[in-house]
Amino acid sequence: MRYLLFVPLILFAALAQVAAAPYFPLLGVTANPLLVLLVCWAMVRGPEETMALIPVAGIFKDLITTDPVGASVLALLPIVPLAAIRERRPTESEFLPTLAVVAAASLSYHLIYMIVLTAVGDGPPWLQSPVRVILPAALFNALITPIFYLPVRWATTLAEMARPSMSVPGLGER
Amino acid sequence: MRTLVWLLVVGLLALLGIALSQQGALDPLRNFALTVASPFQRGLRAAASPAADFLDNVAERQDLEEENRLLRQQIEELTAEIARLKESEFTAADLAELAEVENSRPDDEFLVARVIARDPSNLKERLAIDRGSDDGVAEGMVVMSEGASMVGVVSKALSDFAWVTLITDPNSNVNAMLLESRAQGVVGGSLNGGLHMDLIPQDAEVEPGNTVATSGLGGNLPQALLIGQVTSVRGEPQDVFKTAEIKPAASLSRLENVLVLTSFRAARLMSP
Repeated sequence: MRYLLFVPLILFAALAQVAAAPYFPLLGVTANPLLVLLVCWAMVRGPEETMALIPVAGIFKDLITTDPVGASVLALLPIVPLAAIRERRPTESEFLPTLAVVAAASLSYHLIYMIVLTAVGDGPPWLQSPVRVILPAALFNALITPIFYLPVRWATTLAEMARPSMSVPGLGER
Repeated sequence: MRTLVWLLVVGLLALLGIALSQQGALDPLRNFALTVASPFQRGLRAAASPAADFLDNVAERQDLEEENRLLRQQIEELTAEIARLKESEFTAADLAELAEVENSRPDDEFLVARVIARDPSNLKERLAIDRGSDDGVAEGMVVMSEGASMVGVVSKALSDFAWVTLITDPNSNVNAMLLESRAQGVVGGSLNGGLHMDLIPQDAEVEPGNTVATSGLGGNLPQALLIGQVTSVRGEPQDVFKTAEIKPAASLSRLENVLVLTSFRAARLMSP
């Protein structure tokens, strides 16, 4: 049931990335709001929902761009293993690990994406890409993380508060 | 363990999808997805464009932006006209065979198309237009701006839509010449939307402000199609070639409508 809400939201993020993100370049690159949203989702709500959303979002994005269908899915896959850092709780705050995972996922996204493009004969210039695209994009994505992290965090907190709590005598509230 | 299985299954499905899309098997699905998505994309573009303009010109007033846009368009049109006139002058004065080429070309026919999306990848410079093979658009056709300068080439034609590879794409290479010195070279794109002209002979005279147009060499593009103007020149005297940075004549980041040159058929598209 919850996916009835989540899937349109993630499809809208993919649409926004294709239609609107190129209008707001920074450091010569375009942000990847879809990736940032999926990382925030995985870090705040756990990877289970993200595992369902990644194929949907990736395939839809590839269908409306020139990418081979499946390229974005492959490039977004590392989000799930990277989000495992959430379970280790390296810091008190969830936000700092989220920033780190956004930057790491952004780097791995471009790396896998470039491998796929090269494999299909549409390869970018590998020598120039790290300095001119990959690092600036990782920085840009990290910069826009609060825009996605805070609404996902608040929505999750609200949903948890609205959920009826179960009380067990002697053990307190669960 | 569950994550590993998921990675393997989804990864394999993604690889299968890549293989299928390389065969063109998913083109009808792409066309359907673009048909469904394009109204939303137009809406989002319409919403994003003014916001982007506002951010770009925070200190400027709206009327100045409009005036600036009109003036830019006029400059582009006039520069294209100058390029065409320079070419005509050269043709008339020096090379009769160029006149033959020009005369042999039929009257240009254009198809107006609306830009519906840009590829958001940082590694490609491509845009989608709302005309496809059903409208007569074919891969290899030249796409021009409203100011008659070169935008790119159709790289993928779906039934109702087409993807255009811009001249600034890192994989784009266009045979070009400097109209002032007649020196030839290759104009290529680079990451971040840059444009440069390589393989200019060392003895060629190149100066900032020189006009760059297609040379027509190879037969894949028409001749004397305005590309842009030289902004700077690089190259040491001992180098074999010079390189010039080019500013595209068309405002490639803000294109809303383009013209597809349907009357010109690239040499590689013609049957032997």
